[in-house]
Amino acid sequence: MKQPLVSTLFDFIASRIPLHKLDVRHMITEKEVPVHRMSWGYYVGGLALFFFIIQVFTGMMLLFYYEPTVSEAHESVEYITHFVTMGALIRNLHAWSASFMIFCVIAHMLSALAMKAFAKPREITWIAGVLLLLITFGFGFTGYLLPWNQIAVNATKVGLASIDQMGQYLPAALSHLAEDVRVTIQGAPAIGQATLSRFFALHVVILPLMVFGVIGLHVLSVQLHGMSPGIEDKPRRKDKFFPIFILKDFKEWGIAFLVLFILSLCLPFDSLFPYPLLEPYNALGSTPDGIKPEWYFYFVYYPMELLPFWIIIVVMTLATLGLFAAPWIFKGTSHKTMRWIASAIAAYMIIMTLFGENIYHAIKG
Amino acid sequence: MLELFAFVGLPYAAILICIVGTVWRFRNDQYGISSLSSQFLEGRKLLWGSAPWHIGILIIFLGHFVAFLLPGIWQRLMAVPLLLALAEMTGFASTVLCLLGLTVLFYRRLTTARLQKSTNIGDFIVTALLLVQVGLGLMVAGGYRWGASWSTGTLTPYVWSLISFSPDVSVIRDMPIVIQAHVVGAWLILLVLPFTRLIHMVSVPLQYLFRSPQKVVWNNPRRNNQAVAARVTQESRRHFLKAAFGLSAAGLLLSVGVLDKLGRFFQMPGLHHDEEANLLETRLRRLQLTAEEKELELERLRSDHIYVAKLAELNNTVGKYFIDYSMRPGLAFRAEDGWPMLLSAKCTHLGCTVGNQVDASGRILCPCHVSYFDIKTGMPNDGAPAKAPLDRIAWVLRDEQGTEVATESPRGSRTGRLDPAVADGYSLYIVRSLSAEA
Repeated sequence: MKQPLVSTLFDFIASRIPLHKLDVRHMITEKEVPVHRMSWGYYVGGLALFFFIIQVFTGMMLLFYYEPTVSEAHESVEYITHFVTMGALIRNLHAWSASFMIFCVIAHMLSALAMKAFAKPREITWIAGVLLLLITFGFGFTGYLLPWNQIAVNATKVGLASIDQMGQYLPAALSHLAEDVRVTIQGAPAIGQATLSRFFALHVVILPLMVFGVIGLHVLSVQLHGMSPGIEDKPRRKDKFFPIFILKDFKEWGIAFLVLFILSLCLPFDSLFPYPLLEPYNALGSTPDGIKPEWYFYFVYYPMELLPFWIIIVVMTLATLGLFAAPWIFKGTSHKTMRWIASAIAAYMIIMTLFGENIYHAIKG
Repeated sequence: MLELFAFVGLPYAAILICIVGTVWRFRNDQYGISSLSSQFLEGRKLLWGSAPWHIGILIIFLGHFVAFLLPGIWQRLMAVPLLLALAEMTGFASTVLCLLGLTVLFYRRLTTARLQKSTNIGDFIVTALLLVQVGLGLMVAGGYRWGASWSTGTLTPYVWSLISFSPDVSVIRDMPIVIQAHVVGAWLILLVLPFTRLIHMVSVPLQYLFRSPQKVVWNNPRRNNQAVAARVTQESRRHFLKAAFGLSAAGLLLSVGVLDKLGRFFQMPGLHHDEEANLLETRLRRLQLTAEEKELELERLRSDHIYVAKLAELNNTVGKYFIDYSMRPGLAFRAEDGWPMLLSAKCTHLGCTVGNQVDASGRILCPCHVSYFDIKTGMPNDGAPAKAPLDRIAWVLRDEQGTEVATESPRGSRTGRLDPAVADGYSLYIVRSLSAEA
């Protein structure tokens, strides 16, 4: 007999969010973490969380001085960097930790893919994770604009203008739709105060609220279901989550903090850009050379430079949908094949991030 | 007379009784020479009382003994201010530890029924004596600071005078009553030592430190499994405690450093007068720039004509930037034939602002993704990322009297004519009516 749809839905939710396991015994004392050669993957998610915590704290600190207006934003960032005691350190922590966090989030996604961690009953964990990945990119994109310097505003301009590009593929009657979307995001026909206010609101209020909710769901379901086995065979050994794994986790956090702190003390994030890009944004001047997005967008930026735009749209849409649907697409795929797929994606990301510029110049001359 | 009794008679009596008493006890009550451990009766509070007490008192003991036995070396060490401060701090901390431990032990005796069965009057005397003695010690340390240094010149000679059988109370006679009481307390403790549990001081099981470890092996498999399980639990607890302790210690150190930095972040930066002035100047300039931008915007909303430049200022090598009616940058050139040319400077690819330097082939460059645009037609080069030409911007030329001489529509159709003789004096405008048409 066919079950009614509603009860099927409830069954699905009940088995994916097993609230009857919501107690200390299931979630902490009895939880075990398998030890095998992919075990490192169990730590990157925690590290991403750690860097996110750093972001929350340093971000709140920066809020004490940052002023989100076109005339004050750049000055207030300069003030933090040069005059506030330890201001440069806090800002560097925020910038470096942002990059580390994004790196960890991507690595976490790939390792989860390689371990087939999305398999039943962990679909909701995975979907929450994909949402978090997208929100993280949102953080990166909105936060990049806030210092209001040349590279920030111009890169944002370029990023938003790619929305306009989509207009050419829409039927004539709808072709203005793309531009309308861009103007709505910008809040004005040209990037200005409206855009800064919107991005600021997104970066410090809306996205964090979203993240808190989704991380809650993500971490809760990880604790409810326990770690995914990760490999086909039975693991040789299992660590207790508490106290062994959690201590190892904290140890990694300690090392990560040490690296982050030393890096932030010694190397300003800004030093990776030539100075003219860090001047206050000049709405009337020309765009300076060397405008490009942050490194974590290279994997889509350089192909966008090289290939027709419609290919990028199709591939990105398919990739995003594919990520969300991975638990169903790869339902029957073996762990070994998953490892190959994840490695291929990782290889692509690494090559594009490290050598994207070289590839671009080699092809474009 | 009282002095002689307290500082000469009592000490000799105490030492004598201590020696004789100890020997007597060794001969008559050998199995009683212990601390009469009550660990089996109550273990938890004992740990929190006994450990601090013993750690504290051993450190203090060591300090007193070094000062009495090696006054020369001690004196020289204490001449270094840092070491003196360190010694005093260690002493204070140890005393506090002792007091805490003793208090817990005392409380434990008073509140645990099964202990009271095995408690005798001697135990209370010992505890009271020790409490008083440690309290006096703390008063001495607090009231007469730097005892680690001054004791070598006062109390050490007194102790040595007793040991060398030439008692000399001249120094101690004039000392404050608290210090005198502390000295008397010491002799009293020595006096009762052989007759109380304090006797365990002479039977410290030092060999425990060096003997080989003993392991209990059960023949019964069930008991053996239990023992193994218990050991595993204990091991993992020890492992966790060790790791947790290490992590919290590291965390503590880390947070001291980090909080120090974070705390200062919120303090007002103490800026120099000049720095403050410069800062304010920069900020003001930025505000002015923003104000100018807003004025431009207002002007474009209000007026029908916007002045761009005198025709004479324009040329075909470097474009002049201006802002068009939609607040986007435009570039003004003057072609070789003398006519003005106005192009939008917004790249048709992704909206970057195009550069204003004209290259040898009459093109300007968008630096973002390298598109070259011909300034005559606005067309991008072949294979450029930009596909569409730059928009033309309509203009109006006026002579010095303000009369309209020539116009160009957005589609490029011109009206009027240019008189090369006076053209340099003409002014170039963009016009709202023509822009709206576009």
